[in-house]
Amino acid sequence: MKVLKMLIPLTIEGLKITLGVFILTLAVSLPLSILVALMRRSKNKFLSKFIGIYIYIMRGTPLLLQLMFIYFGYHYIPHIGYALGRYQAIFIAFILNYTAYFAEIFRGGIGSIDIGQYEASKVLGISRSYTFSKIILPQVIKNVLPSIGNEVITLVKDTSLVYILGVSDILKAARAASNTYSTFTPFVFIGFVYLIIIAILTKLLDKIELKFNYYR
Amino acid sequence: MTLIVENISKSFGENLVFKDVSFKMDKGEIVCIKGKSGEGKTTLLRCLNNLEEIDSGKIIINNREISKVKDGKLEIGLVFQNYNLFPHMTVMDNIVLAPLYLKKSSEEDIYKRAAQLINDLGLKGKEDFYPYQLSGGQKQRVAIARACILNPSVLCFDEPTSALDRETIGQISKIIEDLANKGMAIIIVTHDNEFVDEIAHRVIEISEGSLYEE
Repeated sequence: MKVLKMLIPLTIEGLKITLGVFILTLAVSLPLSILVALMRRSKNKFLSKFIGIYIYIMRGTPLLLQLMFIYFGYHYIPHIGYALGRYQAIFIAFILNYTAYFAEIFRGGIGSIDIGQYEASKVLGISRSYTFSKIILPQVIKNVLPSIGNEVITLVKDTSLVYILGVSDILKAARAASNTYSTFTPFVFIGFVYLIIIAILTKLLDKIELKFNYYR
Repeated sequence: MTLIVENISKSFGENLVFKDVSFKMDKGEIVCIKGKSGEGKTTLLRCLNNLEEIDSGKIIINNREISKVKDGKLEIGLVFQNYNLFPHMTVMDNIVLAPLYLKKSSEEDIYKRAAQLINDLGLKGKEDFYPYQLSGGQKQRVAIARACILNPSVLCFDEPTSALDRETIGQISKIIEDLANKGMAIIIVTHDNEFVDEIAHRVIEISEGSLYEE
């Protein structure tokens, strides 16, 4: 009982961090990643290569390392002379990392649309930007939803990495309670909290997919 | 003359598709372009519709050279072989998308005109259907309506009979003839000889990069 008394308030505090990082990352990364995907597909070789390197670094190194680098790594970049706060560092790292993954998903999605869709639109005299937003993007979103859903669920669990910068999420709440009372129970409890969050998300994602099922 | 094609040439890299091709069309004419697969029939249509750049020559529609016309002002339309309808839009939305975007006329007029076309083309009751819910012939008629609502002077068809049964081909012939009677110049690329005999006013054959009028 005493464990729960300690664990529940800590969990509620931790949930603010877990959900905060989750929501903010999604809100920024999803739209940003569409732009990044377009830049990756750009005919401008320099831009496309630059984005390619960014994506390579983001996917090629652990998020944990990126968090540490963005928070502690300012020493290595001369003339900035400014250390980021831990929350700033967390958001920047998560947004950069997830934008890279989402952008690759969108890049594939955009590439999968039949060129005939672009041509039909061109023949009708519709501009390229209007074609993208009204004809291509809606079809891309339908196609990439399952892959995006996968990443969204991974993001929930990745939020636990914020502990490395001393920020308390729900997993850290469990660790604190576990250390105080020498019991494993808080971890089991937190495991269920994750499962509940994922269950809600899964339902939500299914609903969104269903909404896009109006055509084939 | 509605359409004047003057000495156009097109090649893809080393691969010559056609060279110094010329022909003219008047309004209301139905011209069929025949030729074996790979002779460049479709490429010719794509050039006329600005989907491919020509290497040399001129394409003039209603006294305006198309290479100098800005997007959205082309007076030519194309019904693709596989129709290329927008799968996430209803029949109605497929048809009104372009005129609404181009602000061709008031929204009310555009919807009225679309309803008229839907009626004329025998698509009544299908306004809210999505392309996957339509048969091949119905999809083609939506593609025709989508092109016709922009009132092009020239309308091109790429292999319009390839996916249709004889009965549906009869219906499409009638639709095409109606369009020609209203003054549209029609270009049909096909290798369906029976269809050509039925509909063509003139037949042009494309072979080894040149055109021959029959």
